[in-house]
Amino acid sequence: MPRSLRKLSFATANTAAVLAALYIAFARDLERPYWAMFTVFIVANPIVGAVRSKAVYRILGTLLGASISIFLIPPLVDAPALLCLAISLWVGICVYLSLLDRTPRSYVFLLAGYTATLIGLAVVNQPATVFDTAVSRVEEISLGVICAAIAHSVIFPQSVTAHLNTKIRSTLMSAGTWLSEALMRPEQASDMQAQEQLATFVTDLHLLYTHVEFETSDVPRAAGLMRLLRDRLALLLPRVSSVQKAIAALAASGSVSPRLAGAIEVTSHWLRSGESPEPSAPSSLPGGGGGVNLPVVTAQRSRAVALDWPGLLEQNAITNLRELVFAFADSKMLATALANDAANLPAHLEHEAATAGHRPLHRDRGLALLSAFAAAGATLLACALWIEGSWPEGAVAAQFAAIGCSLAATLDDAAKFIRSAIIGILLALPFAALYEFAILPRIDGFVALAIVLSPAILLFSLMQASDRLGGAGLVLAIAFSGGLALQDTYKADFAAFVNSNSAEIVGLLVAVAMSLVFRTIDPAWNAVRISKAGWREVRRLATNRRVDLPAWTEKMFDRLGLVTSRIRIAGRVGRRGDIDGLRDMRVGLNMGTVRGVGGELGSSSRAALERVLATVSRDYRSRLSNRRDAIDVEETIDQGIVFLGAEAPSGASLDGLAALIGLRLDLAPAGGQYAVKRTS
Amino acid sequence: MIGEIDIAGVFVPRLLIAALIAFCLTAVAQRSMRRLHLYRFIWHAGLFDVALFVVMLWATAVVTAAGNIPGVK
Repeated sequence: MPRSLRKLSFATANTAAVLAALYIAFARDLERPYWAMFTVFIVANPIVGAVRSKAVYRILGTLLGASISIFLIPPLVDAPALLCLAISLWVGICVYLSLLDRTPRSYVFLLAGYTATLIGLAVVNQPATVFDTAVSRVEEISLGVICAAIAHSVIFPQSVTAHLNTKIRSTLMSAGTWLSEALMRPEQASDMQAQEQLATFVTDLHLLYTHVEFETSDVPRAAGLMRLLRDRLALLLPRVSSVQKAIAALAASGSVSPRLAGAIEVTSHWLRSGESPEPSAPSSLPGGGGGVNLPVVTAQRSRAVALDWPGLLEQNAITNLRELVFAFADSKMLATALANDAANLPAHLEHEAATAGHRPLHRDRGLALLSAFAAAGATLLACALWIEGSWPEGAVAAQFAAIGCSLAATLDDAAKFIRSAIIGILLALPFAALYEFAILPRIDGFVALAIVLSPAILLFSLMQASDRLGGAGLVLAIAFSGGLALQDTYKADFAAFVNSNSAEIVGLLVAVAMSLVFRTIDPAWNAVRISKAGWREVRRLATNRRVDLPAWTEKMFDRLGLVTSRIRIAGRVGRRGDIDGLRDMRVGLNMGTVRGVGGELGSSSRAALERVLATVSRDYRSRLSNRRDAIDVEETIDQGIVFLGAEAPSGASLDGLAALIGLRLDLAPAGGQYAVKRTS
Repeated sequence: MIGEIDIAGVFVPRLLIAALIAFCLTAVAQRSMRRLHLYRFIWHAGLFDVALFVVMLWATAVVTAAGNIPGVK
């Protein structure tokens, strides 16, 4: 289906859902039909899985928030100050909990927080009605989400997997082209852009794939394959940059051997060609070659390595090149398997997909706490205005302060988001006023209402279907529905219209002020913060044997995306040139290898490798504490190289050597070369 | 189908209870059908899921209300 037609079918489905929700709400005499109306807009999404997941989360969050308000209001209603404190605290707790979870599930807590204000603060003058209000809120929200879920699953549903498979294919194509170019040249500043794109893409895959559980039943669930694909994609950049680093060091210390240059050329050509590996071809290689028949993959294992600097660098480059080829070949096979249910995977991938564990994303408890303070503070401040000023509409201001801070809690620039929401409301109000005071008085009955509302609903839905206008469309739709406040009988009251809408604006302005005070986050500062969290993770990997390497890698890759996007916004690299997410990932992967090969080597080599891990941990501790202590990374690694070089050449000792060289390139001062030393 | 059930002093419509039961039944049915790859034979899974729920709701209503409501045996 062409794009414009898809948008139109989405808008039609949405309009049908809105009208159905309104009709049922009027027919059943519900208190506030407009709650059902804007709920449809809130859960609307061109992807049916996203609609259905948000539907479930919205019902759960509403139930939780309604229960809390029933629990809080009766005992506290006679002590307004305590009540405001309790409600603000609840909003803060909910914002904190929702920020710890970056998946769409976080909406449950976010909504639970401000639903308590919507129900609780609206009934303080008639506390006896809290139960009825809570029930009607739950009814209206459920009605809205059910209408939206049914309409969007029945009328031309679009599954998230179709969308994702297209994106995966195009990303693999462009990644192949980029990697093949990157192999032939040294690192350069514009690489940051590619890093950001791929890392953000992998995180998006993670977040978007959570909707698959909620898709219509014909969509295959393949969370294991998706997890594995993310693992492999996260390996591409650290591997290719390792090769680049090794080549640069080789070029600096002499020349690149024709053997290595040839291997790189062949790999580069293969990456660009887009040739699919044969998934069925048997692979005899450790780790599986997936049938990739490149000289780089097959030829390099047998021969002993010259233990001088160029020889070791070459070994490092070859090892990383091989890992790059494996990761890319696996990615392609996984992408094919995801797109085509019947495609058969090699056994090792099948097994890995079935056993892959949970992959957590980066989270920041400190920032979550800060946002929670901002949200609780804004709610409390608006409550204070309400009580001290004896302002009848103050409750609405408190509600909107809570809503504004909650919805903006994930953003770096919260104040800007809330300001644009205010502008959206101001734009929608004349529109709502036109309907409220000029059109609605002239009509009677649901059919006439549906006819006059349809153009507006269709317009907002069309806006929601587009990527660029989506947010604006949602704000306009909500402000329009709220401003219209359609109820059973028409009661236009210009004073009430102005009062409640100006209270909304005041509430949002309070939210802006609190966000400016508490949550003006400098992107460069945040980038440093995220990088430091990554350094702590590197230390954890060095000291704790139980850390799962693939999970670690994906989390670091997620951080890489977060850091590079913030550095781009800040327009400069943070203090010192020390922020380098790719370096941290390389160090981690090399440490993983060092950890893994230790078991197959002699006890003296194992002890030397343990010392290397301990030194890396100390090096990162000094980075974290901002002091650059003189740490003997170089010597410890060199000792490790000597011990491993003395071992009989085997797969394990070669991999270990390559990893040690990788660590040395990243952690030892630039230009340092390993020189053969004799163990005395 | 009309009538309410008293759960600890809160009156809950029977239709809501029936809908919750039907939802669980539908989820089980969908899961097993997916496991058996039966959705290959279905043209419009979204429509099918909705219809399945309606059938389940009707079945639940008939089973739980049998004898109580005139017209439903």
